[in-house]
Amino acid sequence: MSQFEFMRSLNIGQYLPLGSPIHRLDPRARLLAYFFLLIGLVFTRSGLGLLLGGLATLVLLRLARVPLRFALRGLLGPLPFLLILAVLQVFINAQPDTGPQFFRIGSLVVGLSDLWLGLLLLGRFFGLILLLSLGSFTLSTGELTLGLGYLLRPLARLGLPAHDFVMMLQVSLRFLPLLAQSAERIAKSQAARGADWDARGGNLLARVRRIIPVVVPLFLVSLRRAENMALAMDARGYGSVELRTSRIALKASLRDWAFGITIFLLSVGIILI
Amino acid sequence: MGMPPLISLEHVSFSYRDPQGKTYPVLHDLSLNIEEGNLVAVVGANGSGKTTLIRHLNGLLLPDQGRVQVCGLDTHSAAGRQAIHQQVGMVFQHPEDQIIASTLEDEAAFGPENLGLPPAEIQARVEEALRTVGLWEVRQRPPHLLSAGQEQRLALAGVLAMRPRCIVFDEATTMLDPAGRRMALEWMRRLHAEGLTILYVTHHMEEAVLAERVLVLEQGRIVRDGPPPEVFADPGALAALGLEPPPAAALAARLRPYLPGLPSNILRPEDLQEGIGRIFREQTTDDGQQTTDDGPWSVVRRPSPNSLFSFPISVSHLSHTYLLGTPLAHPALSDVSLEIGPGRSHGLLGRTGSGKSTLLQHLNGLLRPQSGKVQVGELDLSDPAVLTRSVIQAVGTVFQNPEMQFFEQYVGDEIAYGPRQFPSAEALAERVRAAMDLVGLDFETFKDRLLFTLSGGEKRKVALASALAVRPAVLLLDEPTAGLDPQSHREILARLKQLQAGGMTLVLSSHRMEDLAEMVVDLTLFEEGRVEASAPLAQVFGQARLLEVAGLEQPLAVQAAGWLRAQGWSVPEDVMTPDRLIQVVASLAVPPVERQP
Repeated sequence: MSQFEFMRSLNIGQYLPLGSPIHRLDPRARLLAYFFLLIGLVFTRSGLGLLLGGLATLVLLRLARVPLRFALRGLLGPLPFLLILAVLQVFINAQPDTGPQFFRIGSLVVGLSDLWLGLLLLGRFFGLILLLSLGSFTLSTGELTLGLGYLLRPLARLGLPAHDFVMMLQVSLRFLPLLAQSAERIAKSQAARGADWDARGGNLLARVRRIIPVVVPLFLVSLRRAENMALAMDARGYGSVELRTSRIALKASLRDWAFGITIFLLSVGIILI
Repeated sequence: MGMPPLISLEHVSFSYRDPQGKTYPVLHDLSLNIEEGNLVAVVGANGSGKTTLIRHLNGLLLPDQGRVQVCGLDTHSAAGRQAIHQQVGMVFQHPEDQIIASTLEDEAAFGPENLGLPPAEIQARVEEALRTVGLWEVRQRPPHLLSAGQEQRLALAGVLAMRPRCIVFDEATTMLDPAGRRMALEWMRRLHAEGLTILYVTHHMEEAVLAERVLVLEQGRIVRDGPPPEVFADPGALAALGLEPPPAAALAARLRPYLPGLPSNILRPEDLQEGIGRIFREQTTDDGQQTTDDGPWSVVRRPSPNSLFSFPISVSHLSHTYLLGTPLAHPALSDVSLEIGPGRSHGLLGRTGSGKSTLLQHLNGLLRPQSGKVQVGELDLSDPAVLTRSVIQAVGTVFQNPEMQFFEQYVGDEIAYGPRQFPSAEALAERVRAAMDLVGLDFETFKDRLLFTLSGGEKRKVALASALAVRPAVLLLDEPTAGLDPQSHREILARLKQLQAGGMTLVLSSHRMEDLAEMVVDLTLFEEGRVEASAPLAQVFGQARLLEVAGLEQPLAVQAAGWLRAQGWSVPEDVMTPDRLIQVVASLAVPPVERQP
């Protein structure tokens, strides 16, 4: 294992060309289905709903032939932050303390309901991260821009820069692995000159102290790379015509409709449950 | 009158403006015509305006004064620019930064999609372009897992899919290995043969000689413009422009005093081979000048004399896989074993992605053995208790393109980073000064300079000094001369030699055979993560077949020695550098003046 393989903990932003039945669906059907599930996971208030949503995501990952261990590892990176959020959620009482008490510290009363809310928050974020990973594993940038461009057409008709928005999204996704690569190089060049990367893990403060010197040059490097990329896009005629076309011809089949509708119904169920 | 030129620049001037409003003039009143079907090389020192010039050719930059026309369209008009982007494609130096999409086919489709073509047409063009560059089979791969050579082929496919009339390559071969470079040049030739107009910027004179026309830039002006034989005729004038003659021409010039029959128009290695062949056919009846005495010159290279502080490095059965345990896992090293003796500078060669960089990172402890063993002096790097910090005090590293990893603003701070991590009794400023002395940067002049204002060669020296500031006994160098203009290249090599003479062991990964021949004692040849050969320099470079399999060629001096040997000269097998070759030839040939007493 290497402490420098930042790419390892980066799931979002990687497309996996696995050629699964999911990959073969119409990009619009996939986008809509993921969107429905997202709404479901965000708005459901019940634990059962979250469980259902999470399971559905896992099933889709399986169908997409993504190794589950790989997908689950994506949860490890943000885990410390999520735990902090969950703890905060437990202590910041949103609910009046009517239920049974769990424990108390001084005047702070933590009820079972608070604990439950913390768990829900954790579950919700796990589900969302898995769903986002699923999206990036199964949608290539071409499919994403095409599908999203199509779905956002009504906005474009209203005169909003929907296409630029879609392109921004595509470029950001492409940039994620580049960021990981640049960060890796900078960290290595600092370590090669004495920065202390030996201490595995360490406390949070030590880790933050190690990361900060990487972040500033990372910004500078990224700005330069962004400039290069803009130049390359310009040179290949981005923005020459009003409406970009795509290499993929959109064609929704019965299967795509069935998929979209199934997930839609499931998501409605998740919210209502 | 013939056809109007494809591209014409009339009195073009251009300046960059910094945020304070200060202007930096780059192009001065430059006029130029590029005819349809031309094959043009653009050369010049770093900062001479090459990149600025070619960015005018497709409207990426617009002239402050004068005008640029492409196919009769003015780049100043927005409507014209759209057509121009399609007509003039561009391949840039850093392939990874010009890739926009997350799969190869989406990437190749990006340009045609911008032209608003129907899906079927785009799909056809994508297939054609990817097949042309040989990437159709892997069209679903994510681009960040490609090698530099493949990335550059992908960039070319992205341009080809737009069906341009002209393609401009901006130092597009800089990041490539010899095989990738040859392939890129071969495409330029092929596309040119198919009628496309090709322009390329290069620091390599051996690439420039392949053009029909060479443009030499100096300080924003075109100072030479003509076919290669004309432009490269006067070595003195070239040196004044910060350039140098192509290696074959340079070697021929040095051989000519001893081989007076050598023709004067030698530019390419083939010319030299032919020239050598011809004079000996003419001269074999002349006199018996072919002595077999190779006594005084058959010295074997010795390790650098002052290797007191050095220690052996040994690698045995080392394997490494990146992203181990993920669907994107890819092996980088398998069962690698080699020895780096104390004071014996070691070269690593092989294609990009063959494992050289991964190996280097094992030698300084950044990567630890997944399996196998790495021993650096006393330190066993498989032992997690051995801290990376203690390894790097003995083994310094200069990564590839070190400029891209600078993390300070000022030269002094950048170099002081290492010493700051390892406090010692000596004053920090003194340690920085000592490191700057070693690379020939004046402490007072440079310590407070902003890094981004330095030239390419100066930046490389700063990177070198940053690694030296910790006073390592071994220095790892990953492509230390890539992307430098000829003059900076020479300077960096000279500095490295000085370090060697001072007792430092270098481990040098390079695509430049000539550099390796000058610098190292032993060589390890990598192919697909395996060691193909690990032996003294002459043994590896002597085997043309072995190199060929790895997509490499012998250094020119070794080739020339072979051609002379084929003519019956007893040039010893250990001739690796031009200097040695000239020595040997001088000792064997009868100088023309002495022949008729």
